[in-house]
Amino acid sequence: MSTGADARAADTARAEVSDTELAELRTTVRNFLSTRADESAVRAAMDSERGYDEKVWSQIAGELGLPALALPTEYGGDGCGLVELSVVIGEMGRVLLPSPFFSTVVLAATAVVASGDAGAAERLLPGIAAGTTTATRAAPPRAGSWEPAAGALGVRVTGSGSEREVVLEGTAPLVVEGAAADVALVVADGPAGPTLYEVEATADGVTRTTLRGLDLTRRMARIDFRNAPARLVGRPGGAALAVARVLDVATTALAAEQVGAARACLETATAYAKERMQFGRPIGSFQAVKHKCADMFARVQVADAAAVEAARAVDGAPGSPDPGVAAAVAHAVCSEAFMAVAAENIQVHGGIGFTWEHSAHLYYRRAKASQLLFGGPAVYYERLLRRAGV
Amino acid sequence: MPSEPDDKGMDQFVAEVRAFLDANATRRAHVGDEVVWGEGEDRITYFSTDPPEVEAARVAAAKAWQKVRYDNGFGWITGPPEFGGRNLTSLHDLVYDSLEAEYDVPDTGVLSLIGLGMIGPTILAHGTEELKRRYLPAMYAGRIIACQLFSEPGAGSDLASLATRAVRERDGWVLNGQKVWTSVAQHAAIGLALCRTDPEKPKHKGITAFIVDMSAPGVDVRPLRQMSGGAEFNEVFLTDVYVPDDHRLGPVDGGWGVALTTLMNERASVGGEGAGPAGRAVGLQFLTELLRANGRQADAAARRRLAELFADQAASEYLNRQALRRFRAGEQPGPEASVSKLMYAQNLTRGAHFAAEIVGPRLVADTGEWGTFSWTELLLATPALRILGGTEEIMKNILAERVLGLPKEPGIDTTSPFRELRRSGRTGA
Repeated sequence: MSTGADARAADTARAEVSDTELAELRTTVRNFLSTRADESAVRAAMDSERGYDEKVWSQIAGELGLPALALPTEYGGDGCGLVELSVVIGEMGRVLLPSPFFSTVVLAATAVVASGDAGAAERLLPGIAAGTTTATRAAPPRAGSWEPAAGALGVRVTGSGSEREVVLEGTAPLVVEGAAADVALVVADGPAGPTLYEVEATADGVTRTTLRGLDLTRRMARIDFRNAPARLVGRPGGAALAVARVLDVATTALAAEQVGAARACLETATAYAKERMQFGRPIGSFQAVKHKCADMFARVQVADAAAVEAARAVDGAPGSPDPGVAAAVAHAVCSEAFMAVAAENIQVHGGIGFTWEHSAHLYYRRAKASQLLFGGPAVYYERLLRRAGV
Repeated sequence: MPSEPDDKGMDQFVAEVRAFLDANATRRAHVGDEVVWGEGEDRITYFSTDPPEVEAARVAAAKAWQKVRYDNGFGWITGPPEFGGRNLTSLHDLVYDSLEAEYDVPDTGVLSLIGLGMIGPTILAHGTEELKRRYLPAMYAGRIIACQLFSEPGAGSDLASLATRAVRERDGWVLNGQKVWTSVAQHAAIGLALCRTDPEKPKHKGITAFIVDMSAPGVDVRPLRQMSGGAEFNEVFLTDVYVPDDHRLGPVDGGWGVALTTLMNERASVGGEGAGPAGRAVGLQFLTELLRANGRQADAAARRRLAELFADQAASEYLNRQALRRFRAGEQPGPEASVSKLMYAQNLTRGAHFAAEIVGPRLVADTGEWGTFSWTELLLATPALRILGGTEEIMKNILAERVLGLPKEPGIDTTSPFRELRRSGRTGA
């Protein structure tokens, strides 16, 4: 539907990755995160000034090479697809790893690749692949959808030295990891319509303000542009296509993250139901609790299938459903599933699940924040119908 | 699906199936879900509500088509050659089904759902050579239909508490008791019956399985009318029914193991059924037409509910795709496959209620308008989906205990003699 046909054609040529290889990738990332990002490490990171552990981030790039995984080989990437990237992101979701991975690799790099701008790709992607550049996508405008409507973007071009060098004015109010990003990709109202620009975060006229957030493991920032210098990415007025591709890729990657986190909630709740004794027996032997866990499992299984199929579809795997539909399905189903499972996790734990010390609230926070990040139910259900042609 | 055969042998098989189907059946004009609102039969069938003569013709057509399949080597694709099978894999079976779906052929569910899908594999696994020779070719050639005599008024979810007695006499056994929810019993020549042979043993350990001749004296099949109006399943009364010992399946008091084989095959077959008139009716395309026909395509509340339903339907379909992919890669489905059944029942139920809301008062009584009162049939069928093939509650126990490893309900008695257990139901041991 809305995805780049060229990108899909290129992806189709790639050999399908085997389940064994995916399992190995999962094990590698899980082992790494279990030692570097256990709960106490995650809590330390979320309380830190930057909001994530820079050492862990540099290891993720340097030792594991994960930012490069799904980037094109000509720009320092490994050329894998969203199927592989989803495994990595699922593991990060599982431990709620605070990191600029999602904002940099998914939001920003996808926008650059989808713009088809070889110069911008040359400038930005090798640094992203190596983990030396962090980036983000400055979107959406206040409460809005990520699909840009001309004139309502919140950031506009107010002056230009040339078509490629412009000056931006306005505000991006809710930017994922905005304070940590070296580069922000901004869709602004330009003379030719919504256009993608690249802004150096440290440039004069760019102010980044970390915001108090619901999700303590993923930082949000406001970025103000006052006469901020920006460089064109892609064609003038050409943001719409790139943004649609970003939305499909980002919601699919987010779905994988949500499934990873939801599975962690399921496992925590199930483990607790086995060990917590009341009335002389494990609470998990009561059907009321048992069925709650079964419901959680069912939701996670269905969500997992939705996320995997969407990743395969966006990668252009043969016999897959329409990628636009599959991505929208995954976004809706995984958002709802994670939210439900995160809430039930607290319920299975009872009072202890409501404490600050327990991890359950961190997942609950991530569940709600990620459900709303790309517009929330009102937006994602309508988008799903539109993508399905209704 | 058949377009991606994984080896040369499969290519050959596909060609062979195509040739067979082209020679013996008509290809459908169009494959898929095209809907033209207001055209075609105004029925959304789930359970049959056909009168007996229509039903009989349907059964005859099913048997005839199964015979054609069998005579051409497609009657039992996975079965052993000595009983008329082809000795191919389940993947070949799947490929055959997906190819045949492109042709207009009689629905053979009356043979396959219970008999060929569940009873056949059970006889194959536990029957004597003589039993296998006698019944398997006849079943897979479409000559006889088999039914499953398991549930009883007093033994539903707790199947092992069944009370139908089998007592040794002469060279065989005499059966007394009542079975219930028996699909296709009215058409069946044989039934697989679980009977209590030793009430002094714990309930799982005193059961024996038999193949019962449904035309034997003392077998009384009575249609059981369902809430949806039709009578697709039955009560079966067994009064002094004689069964020769060579019709015993598995060891004496070893019937529970036989039953598990059958139930395993049941879980494998229920839930995968996505299409059919009901599946199409609650699909996005048909429901969108329903909205449009009722001027509700811009109704935000209706759109939201439709989108929620579609999201879950699509995700369930993806779950089945994933299972299929794993199956093709050689993975056997485990108890987690129950999720698919739960979702199937849930989605069909939600679809029926969504349509009912859109149709409104025209569902209360038949105004004659196309696409309105016809939804009652599906609406009245959906409660069964949460019960048949294992209730939702039992499915959740299975998921929680066997997949998640949660402890069993304490206090369930599996050691006392069957005779001492508290039971409900009309027939005693």
